[in-house]
Amino acid sequence: MIAHSGNMETYDYDVVKKFTIMSVVYGIVGFLLGVIIALELAFPELNGGISYISFGRLRPLHTSAVIFAFGGCVLFACSYYVVQRTCKARLFSDALSKFTFWGWNLVIVLAVITYPLGLTQGKEYAETIWPIDILITVVWVAYFINFVGTLAKRKEKHIYVANWFFLAFIITVAMLHIVNNLAIPVNLTDSYSIYPGVQDAMIQWWYGHNAVGFFLTAAFLGLMYYFVPKQAERPVYSYRLSIVHFWALAFLYIWAGPHHLHYTALPDWASTLGATFSIMLLLPSWGGMINGIMTLSGAWHKLRTDPILRFFIISLSFYGMSTFEGPMMSIKTVNALSHYTDWSIGHVHSGALGWVAMVSFGAIYHLVPKLWGTQTWSVRLINVHFWLATIGIVIYIVSMWISGIMQGLMWRAYDHYGNLTYSFAETVGAMHPYYVFRAVGGIIFLLGALLMAFNVAKTIGNKGEPSPLRTA
Amino acid sequence: MSEEKEVETTGHQWDEDEGYPLKEFNNPLPRWWLYSFYGTIVWAVIYWIFYPAWPLVTDYTRGLLGWSMHRQLDEELAQARALQKPFNDRLEKMGLAEITHDPQMLQYAVAGGKSIFGDNCAPCHGNGGTGSKSGGFPVLVDDDWLISGTIEGIANTITHGHVAMMPAHQKEYGGSFDAKQVDDLTQFVLSLSGQGGNKEAQARGAALFKGEAGCRHCHGDLGKGSARDTLDGAPMEKSIGAPNLTDAIWLYGSDEATVRQSIAKGRSGRMPAWGMGTEGTNHKLPPLAIKQVAVYVHSLGGGQ
Repeated sequence: MIAHSGNMETYDYDVVKKFTIMSVVYGIVGFLLGVIIALELAFPELNGGISYISFGRLRPLHTSAVIFAFGGCVLFACSYYVVQRTCKARLFSDALSKFTFWGWNLVIVLAVITYPLGLTQGKEYAETIWPIDILITVVWVAYFINFVGTLAKRKEKHIYVANWFFLAFIITVAMLHIVNNLAIPVNLTDSYSIYPGVQDAMIQWWYGHNAVGFFLTAAFLGLMYYFVPKQAERPVYSYRLSIVHFWALAFLYIWAGPHHLHYTALPDWASTLGATFSIMLLLPSWGGMINGIMTLSGAWHKLRTDPILRFFIISLSFYGMSTFEGPMMSIKTVNALSHYTDWSIGHVHSGALGWVAMVSFGAIYHLVPKLWGTQTWSVRLINVHFWLATIGIVIYIVSMWISGIMQGLMWRAYDHYGNLTYSFAETVGAMHPYYVFRAVGGIIFLLGALLMAFNVAKTIGNKGEPSPLRTA
Repeated sequence: MSEEKEVETTGHQWDEDEGYPLKEFNNPLPRWWLYSFYGTIVWAVIYWIFYPAWPLVTDYTRGLLGWSMHRQLDEELAQARALQKPFNDRLEKMGLAEITHDPQMLQYAVAGGKSIFGDNCAPCHGNGGTGSKSGGFPVLVDDDWLISGTIEGIANTITHGHVAMMPAHQKEYGGSFDAKQVDDLTQFVLSLSGQGGNKEAQARGAALFKGEAGCRHCHGDLGKGSARDTLDGAPMEKSIGAPNLTDAIWLYGSDEATVRQSIAKGRSGRMPAWGMGTEGTNHKLPPLAIKQVAVYVHSLGGGQ
């Protein structure tokens, strides 16, 4: 075993620090874009008639900024941190570490330039045009080599559970990205997908759903498996459960994509498989929640004093809720009501804000003082952030539930002669108040993130005595 | 949860240099979790037996219920059509005026007309026919009809559409009057509905209105519009569709600047033809739908 001090020096924290800082920056950018487009939906004239900032251009920028810029940087930072510490080994290659940081940021900058210009290949969550797709592939392969290389030179016999999830995430995302983006370029900015018609739609949602499954679920479960036991100072509840739910999750998730295409040109049988595999996915998804929450059992009193743990417990609660909601929405009869409505938007955000962002905030607050060797500047501010984020999410989700179910019911409302009761314009008008509430929820959530940025900046510089605000 | 404490950890340990070392209990799988998981698998298998599920070489397993989304759609549509058929059969044979005198058929036609109106007409005429000043789209709920407010007249307008053309009068925009004359005309037009204050300008405008500007040829001797005014004492051609200038109802707005713009630059309003076999919009409505919309619009409050 390496001595404590020597060990600290061998880890590459530089790249972890960089990714951590960028995750805070991109988090704010992504949430701000979300607030802007939420307001544009409520008040369309806000786009000022400028095409570059219209909803259609900014929406993919918002989703990419939140998933790939914010979420991506969190995952790079945490996986690089966790793999080093649980393998007792420095990252495989400093050059690859640097390359993944600058390469990933270049991808993000290129997306920020191309989307508002309307340069997109029109695939949801995969809008980047083909040259950027190639860059993503190269960066991802570098990430894979760097991660596996680190695992290979580990000084621990066993590979910690968090790393299984990270590895599954890296491998699957590579496969999804490459297969979904196979296309014939016609010039520098345009290309044609090699899949025709409904096959293209099926590949797209195989990609889209598993981006949720492996990027936003499996990888963040990796975070959870490191930071929850570390912060709660408790052993993971069940090793057996972690093995079973890991493999069940990996095997079942990959089938669930077709539930995005119920009642379309997709054949009935594919639709059925998508729905049934989504139902079977419920308990494997919950395995992670059980393991997280039960890890805290025996340490519940710590929730009273530790707002970081509060972030983790609430993220696991939202995770459990949205992984229950998802399989329900995949059932054809439920989907017939929920599909194309704001209910989907609410569902996505209970996962993205409630689970992904909350577990990320907890991880960032845990990481920053450790990386910079400082004291958390204000625990009280973390607590304020926790409440702002929670209240913001609840307002967001509840307004989308109401709006979405109302929208779905209005679309399918018939009078007793079989005529549609509402015109489309009436359903749009009815949603307006909920669009305003949603924007309010988003603004509150954004305020919390701004507090985090402030607290993180102060913590990085907090080398001396803790400020009076420090304790809760 | 006290029994947990007795459960052994796996004996592995990670990251013990700083903070709490990572360890793992080896608790058994929670029973409820495991059996629920099995339950979902059983549910899925049963579902596969009843519904189309697994692809085969050239076909797929169809399921015992014989369900398919296309069959479901066909059945639901057939149900709706069966419900509507007796009404539609009667509606087809009935004249428009006849429909309005049959309470049951009136109710049916209004319900269908409202639905068709909502997705086809409301974008211009507003929900419920309340109109839109910004595009000069007429209000349909009042009794101020530009062409005809009878049910046949409404059906005719829907079928064939209507093109309204108020010519430009100011020289710069293709007319033949200078800016001052347009100002005078504006003052006179405003005075018709009790607005404006410049008496001299109004007098000059009145002379133009009745004289060389030729406004009366469309708007009538008294400016009451082609639907109700006379020209040289004779009834006017109603299809002109020139609006009444003496009331408080305005297509584009009653303020001085808007009225002046209407006179100076002209206006052109276009109601597309919705009848099949007519020129105009690509969104054709079948005759039965036009009947229903006509009955609905006629019922909005101002039908004559």
